[in-house]
Amino acid sequence: MTTKIISMTPTRERGWKMGLGNMLAKELAAWYRTRRWWIQCLLWLVILNVAGIDLNIRGDQTVQQAGSGFLTMAGFGLSIAAISMAQDSILGEKHSGTAAWVLSKPLRRPAFVLAKLFAIGLGILVTGIMLPGAVAYFQLTHFGLQGLTPVGFAGAMGLVALHTLFYLTLALMLATLFNGRGPVLGISLGILLAGLMILFFANTPELLLAILPWRLVMPLGGGPLVGYLALGAPLPTLTPIIATAVWCVLFTGVAIWRIRREEF
Amino acid sequence: MDTTCKPQLMNCLMMNESTPPVIETHSLTKTYKGVQALQPLDLVVREHSICGFLGPNGAGKTTTIKLLLGLARPTAGTAQVFGKDIEKENDEILRRVGYLAQDPRFYEYMTARETLRFTARFFYTGPRAEIERRISETLDLVGLSDKADRPVKGFSGGERQRLGIAQAQVNYPDLLILDEPAASLDPIGRKDVLQVMEKLRQHTTIFYSTHILDDVQRVSDTVIILNKGALVAQGPIEDLLAWGQAESFTLTVKGDSAGVEARLRSQPWVTGIDTLSRNGRVCWQIRVSDPDLAEAQLPALALAGGVTICEFGRKTQNLENVFLSIVEESNHDY
Repeated sequence: MTTKIISMTPTRERGWKMGLGNMLAKELAAWYRTRRWWIQCLLWLVILNVAGIDLNIRGDQTVQQAGSGFLTMAGFGLSIAAISMAQDSILGEKHSGTAAWVLSKPLRRPAFVLAKLFAIGLGILVTGIMLPGAVAYFQLTHFGLQGLTPVGFAGAMGLVALHTLFYLTLALMLATLFNGRGPVLGISLGILLAGLMILFFANTPELLLAILPWRLVMPLGGGPLVGYLALGAPLPTLTPIIATAVWCVLFTGVAIWRIRREEF
Repeated sequence: MDTTCKPQLMNCLMMNESTPPVIETHSLTKTYKGVQALQPLDLVVREHSICGFLGPNGAGKTTTIKLLLGLARPTAGTAQVFGKDIEKENDEILRRVGYLAQDPRFYEYMTARETLRFTARFFYTGPRAEIERRISETLDLVGLSDKADRPVKGFSGGERQRLGIAQAQVNYPDLLILDEPAASLDPIGRKDVLQVMEKLRQHTTIFYSTHILDDVQRVSDTVIILNKGALVAQGPIEDLLAWGQAESFTLTVKGDSAGVEARLRSQPWVTGIDTLSRNGRVCWQIRVSDPDLAEAQLPALALAGGVTICEFGRKTQNLENVFLSIVEESNHDY
């Protein structure tokens, strides 16, 4: 037995990274070694590129309207997907008992949460942002949208990614704080939908628009920031972008703090 | 409430002191929302022992196991595994432990082989061929080789349990902690699990909870009994069985036994009598506080009462009797 132990090389990860590589590999395999990745690719291509751009332009929308609609729809739709995946990823494991199982192995709790954050984030980035974004760029160029630059459009898709990351980290944090799906889905979807609802109200407090990610993709306060970036126009404000990034870090920090205190 | 054990049941603490402890707890306590799940617990599990961890449902066995693994935090007290503090040095402990949960759960989409590969990768980075060889060896050990490449989703309870045992020892652990390892296994599966445990004892200390007392008697060398969150006994299994034998006698008589029973009950050294009547005979299970006196006086008392003695002797104990009497006795103490 002793010789068998010596013949295998022990893992060397220590501290917060202990087990991260293996957990991340497992989470990524759940995306890329299953049908999930191409189903996601197909889903977002149909929703964002076919329904969001192609059908709208063939309908009665201008190319600019279709482009703006694509970015808003991407921000909104991908955030719903991120919320759904994040809550299921943590709560599903807490409820099924697999979280307790993997955490009885040399796996640090922060690594457990970060592996899920990286894997879902990367999965959405590839299947919901990079691929549909690249296709959308060629679609919009093909339909003759003026002023569209590859860098500007990539920047706009970057803001969509940041908007999605906000809801991903929010749902992850809530899933570590609560045991039921109700509060997790209610709070995170509530904040997302509130961004839509305030379109119908004239006087939204500026503070809310500054500190929440709504302005990134929603046509609020002079238009979505993604629209400015896509067309290479100067941004009217950076505050919502910075605030959203800070929220993402904060939510991740709280999720890690909470999972370290969790009892299984 | 008296939370200390009876001195005669605590001899494990004194035994084998030359063997280093693998698990040691000092007043380890756990309270959940005001309910004390574990009263200050002091237990010792020594190297290379197979220690059966017994107790009725809700006694605190799983809580203790979770505390040792860092899956729950103690409310008070400390514990060491391999001399490492369970809270501060949990990483080092988990590298040397294999754990099977009471109701083992795995990722349903993974096959048994993938599950073991995933588990092994927490401990080893390579070489890949060695890891695969170890996985095959482990699958073989638990009899899952023919189902190795099927998703866990389709596994029966017994197959999941076998996979649980496989994943718990894929890393050659120095300590195996098994929470109900034979639960949901058929008799053959149970026998296989016991054989695996016996094979592993050369290299591994095994600490396992169970309700199947026959199994404990067959493979364990030490036993720890919890009741209502408190330690009520710990010791080598033979000492525990001897303790039960020493304090109990069987006396079977024919004839008018009512007067004899009353006389027996009036003896100050008789602590309890269970009576069973069958075919005109009366069989008493007599618990006593002074076995030597009882051995000398019980037959004389019976004969003096005018009955015929058919059978008399110290009661042959099995672990189940001992367990039940210890738990019942501890219930009276509360």
